[in-house]
Amino acid sequence: MLKILQKFFRFSGEENHRRFTLSIILGVVSAFGQALRIPAIYLIVRGVLGKSLDSNTLLLSLSVLVLGVALQILSSGRGTFLQTEAGYTTSADKRMEIAGHLRYLPMGYFNQNSLGEITSVTTNTMELLGDIATRVVLLSTQGILESALITAMLLSFDIRIGAVSLLGLLLFLLINRFLQHRASSISAEKIHADSALVSQILEFIRGIAEAKSYNIGPEGNRRLSEAINHSADTNIRMEFALIPILWLQSWLIKMVGVLIAALSLRFVLDGSMEPATGIVMLIASFILFSALESAGNYSALLRFIDQSVDKAEAILSVPEMDIHGEDRRPASENIELKHVDFSYGSKKVVDDTSLSIPEKSTAAFVGPSGGGKTTLCHLIARFWDVDSGEILLDQTNVKKYSMDSLMSNFSFVFQTVYLFRDSIANNIRFGQPDAPMEQVIAAAKKACCDDFISALPDGYETIIGEGGASLSGGQRQRISIARAIMKDAPIIILDEATANVDPENERELMNAIQALTKEKTILMIAHRLKTVRNADCIFVIDKGKVVQRGTHEELIREEGIYQSFIRSRKEAVGWRLGSGSELTTSQREVES
Amino acid sequence: MKEASSERKKSSLISWIMRYASTRRVLYQLSVGTALLGALLSMAPYYMMARVVKKLLSGESSFSAYQMDFILAALFWTLRTLLHSISTSCSHKATFSVLGNIRKALCEKLTRMPLGDVQSIPSGSLKSIIVDRVDSMETTLAHILPEFTANLAVPFFLFLYLLRIDWRMAIASLLTLPVGVICMMGMMRGYTERWQNCIEKTKLLNDAAVEFINGIEVIKAFGKADSSYEKFEKAAKDGAYCYIDWMKSTLWYFAAARSIVPATMLTILPLGGILYLRGLLSAPDFIMVIILASGLIAPLFTVMSFEDDIAKARTIFDEVGEILGRTEMHRPMKTEEEPKNSGIVLRDVHFSYEKGQEILHGIDLAFLPGTVNALVGPSGSGKSTIARLIASLWDVNEGGIFLGGTDIRKISFEDYNRRVAYVSQDNYLFNTSIRENIRMGRRGATDEEVEEAAKQCGCHDFILGLEKGYDTIAGDSGGQLSGGEKQRICIARALLKNAEIIILDEATAYTDPENEALIQRSLAQVIKGKTLIVIAHRLSTIADADQIALIEDGCLRACGTQEELLRESELYRRMWEAHISSRDTDREETDHA
Repeated sequence: MLKILQKFFRFSGEENHRRFTLSIILGVVSAFGQALRIPAIYLIVRGVLGKSLDSNTLLLSLSVLVLGVALQILSSGRGTFLQTEAGYTTSADKRMEIAGHLRYLPMGYFNQNSLGEITSVTTNTMELLGDIATRVVLLSTQGILESALITAMLLSFDIRIGAVSLLGLLLFLLINRFLQHRASSISAEKIHADSALVSQILEFIRGIAEAKSYNIGPEGNRRLSEAINHSADTNIRMEFALIPILWLQSWLIKMVGVLIAALSLRFVLDGSMEPATGIVMLIASFILFSALESAGNYSALLRFIDQSVDKAEAILSVPEMDIHGEDRRPASENIELKHVDFSYGSKKVVDDTSLSIPEKSTAAFVGPSGGGKTTLCHLIARFWDVDSGEILLDQTNVKKYSMDSLMSNFSFVFQTVYLFRDSIANNIRFGQPDAPMEQVIAAAKKACCDDFISALPDGYETIIGEGGASLSGGQRQRISIARAIMKDAPIIILDEATANVDPENERELMNAIQALTKEKTILMIAHRLKTVRNADCIFVIDKGKVVQRGTHEELIREEGIYQSFIRSRKEAVGWRLGSGSELTTSQREVES
Repeated sequence: MKEASSERKKSSLISWIMRYASTRRVLYQLSVGTALLGALLSMAPYYMMARVVKKLLSGESSFSAYQMDFILAALFWTLRTLLHSISTSCSHKATFSVLGNIRKALCEKLTRMPLGDVQSIPSGSLKSIIVDRVDSMETTLAHILPEFTANLAVPFFLFLYLLRIDWRMAIASLLTLPVGVICMMGMMRGYTERWQNCIEKTKLLNDAAVEFINGIEVIKAFGKADSSYEKFEKAAKDGAYCYIDWMKSTLWYFAAARSIVPATMLTILPLGGILYLRGLLSAPDFIMVIILASGLIAPLFTVMSFEDDIAKARTIFDEVGEILGRTEMHRPMKTEEEPKNSGIVLRDVHFSYEKGQEILHGIDLAFLPGTVNALVGPSGSGKSTIARLIASLWDVNEGGIFLGGTDIRKISFEDYNRRVAYVSQDNYLFNTSIRENIRMGRRGATDEEVEEAAKQCGCHDFILGLEKGYDTIAGDSGGQLSGGEKQRICIARALLKNAEIIILDEATAYTDPENEALIQRSLAQVIKGKTLIVIAHRLSTIADADQIALIEDGCLRACGTQEELLRESELYRRMWEAHISSRDTDREETDHA
């Protein structure tokens, strides 16, 4: 418990750590205020037993009580506020820290999975963390504090009884420690069963269409229900392993209570304790550990805090990229790669590649999928840092540019398009918020979006739904191209597979791409024969290496990947589904 | 009828739990019973202590006279803690199997829902509901019964005991409660507005987070990281301070209630003192009242702290209930009427994904057995919806779809799925070997047949190139296959199935063009003699089809061969020209090559 709290305090930052510490100190004051009822009771009991009870004693006892309650109100009020403030600002700080961290992560790190996880941590996990953090510290410490303060009070009355109480408290903590230890040691098995459950359920959900279509439902369901039962059994076993310890813990404090009562009586009878004290001890034996019992179940909350901290730290520990180069403007857009190596994990993706692309030329990258052509383009825009070798823009290593100044040279047309939940106009002028409407419309016209935008009821002021969901893929793609046209960056990196997304709008999309790439340096992952043929230089990439380079005219004469690429292109384009049962994969159409 | 059943499922929280707890009801009853008994037994030690106090005050001075009382107190405490453990054990055992039942019910529900509906929920959200959300009900369900019972019953019994000793003191012990009520009223002031404000700020914050994170690539590419971050920063701070400010305004009410209400001594000590002085309360009774009253209120606060958990559980129940209340698809277990051939007929088909937004407005179409058919039309026209309805991903709202003259709702799922193969861009590979994945197409297929199918789809070579060949684990945990390779394996699986009707819903649209030719060649093998319904992105691909159906705005605009359509349909002509012009140069190039 202490370990998790400490971890959480460190996580929450210095300012919040201070707030939490202060709130625990205030918790001690509050527990002291509550423990003041012991002397108040003592005053009354002494009066009753000594037959000396009068209104003065009553008043004095009441004053002690009122003082105690007042202390409690003041300290717990302040303490609760500090905890609330600390809890919510911790979650806000961590949200900001994660968002801030994203600015320095390599672009290549972002994909649907990583972004999904980051989103879920930043929204759901942090929301719950803020909420729970405001009460978990109070919940998990107050029981022990109250018992400890009452123990302290008992010590001041009678050192022997106080010592027993202290011993009881220590034993309780010891068992509790053992409990935590036991819980974490069996949790490995639980984690295992849970992750088996998760993967079975994910497989069930994702494969539900296949399971139906291939009629393999019953068998899949059997495996699934086994996993569900196994997870339930494991959880039950785990709880059952802990329940005896929990029992021991609560039994122990009850027995210590009885022991305190019996000992006190004994001391009273042998005259070593004043009767009034003895009675107070009897009373105290009932309230001593009650706070420990009714502290409620906070271990689930602590576990949640623990997991949340781990999740957030996993994101924050992704290494940052040094993006603080100089703000510089290249004099040319000549690109050069010198002996570049790059691997994802242990898989080498780019292997000792050197090439140069002069400015205002078109470079086409072709080759089998998985060959490394996309990665190569990403490296040029510094989505990742190379393992060795260098990438130069205008004879300067891309690492020497500040990220913003490097990025200002590039525009990207990729398959995934992200549009902001804002008006279409603002999406197009993203990056230049002050651009006048005429410029926005001009860009939209070039990107062949003007027609469909104008046809919308609110035209350019139409708000795009979350992620731009209300537009078709091709329309979103064209808006993103209009956005890139506004940016007017000198180098365009283009994945041509994009052009397949929306068949009906094929021509518009091609026109939009043409408008964007006019007079630019173009790097494209090329599929179309036209673009490949017109490229100034074609790089054939296979297994991370440039295996062929040259113009179409040169390469078509060489035996190799390029020739077979052209052949299969020809087939794909000319392919027709035949009439009736007859099928023609012929080149009839091509030849006609 | 469906409406009524979904209404019924929106029943209350308790009955909801009980439904899934039905087999475990005894355990839950046992849990409550033992908790109650435990609470009752815990009164015994109080009684023993009362006897000790009485004897002591009456001057009994031999310790042996007290011994029995202490032994009995210890015994009863032991029983009480044991009963509590039993109660917790029962409720945990019951809870985990209830959670398991809920999970099974959810999964079963998914298999009965229209596939399309299942697939429209992101798999991550479904997993999170079935696993994580259900998990987080554990604490509430497992602890609420024993703890709730014990924490309510103990104060109740204590109060009864107090009443028996002295009714005036019993009333006095409750006198701090009104303070709590007043504080509560203070806390509730402006509650609705504050709560609304917090909800709104939190939503804004979450939206800002989603935008910033998902748009981070665009933001970085446009050099807007810092200014966008500032926007997010403001939302994050607002999101925190709406709660902090709210807390600040109710803080003192809360602290006062938390401190004063359990402080029963505030009333017990002075009032008891006065009654004692007037001789209306004996010394032993007074001391007993102090003991009993000091433990009276604290457990009630524990009960109150469960309220958050209950509220949380309720939202989870709602989420789960929402899924369980969804419409199901009805198919007989056994086909009621055998289809006569492999022709498909659509008769006056109406369909909407959401109520009031009809996508298809009465489609009449016939696909003759053994013909090649194409569905074309602008995006959003409804052509993919038609394909999915034929694939039985959803049921039509009105009209009907007939396979060989039989309404497909009279054919069992199993039978129908054997006859129809639906291939789209997203197909799933299971976490098992590539061989078994392909074999799923037709159970009982030999290894040779599996490999033959793989060869036809151009998978054989790359599979052999893998370290473990056909025994390589596919699916997520495999992680060695590229998207194009996975898709080819899926197509090999569909091919092995040898169904008489094949629906290709842009099956190759997202593959690399390098792989496309390969897949096309294998598709050519599989479709011979079958009824084929295809949505293709190159109009030239389907130019020779027996029938092209042109769909626009959810209606059938024209139907016929390419020639007929070019002659009769202005829209088709425009689409064809657009396609040809964007493709012209490609053709030149191929000629050239």
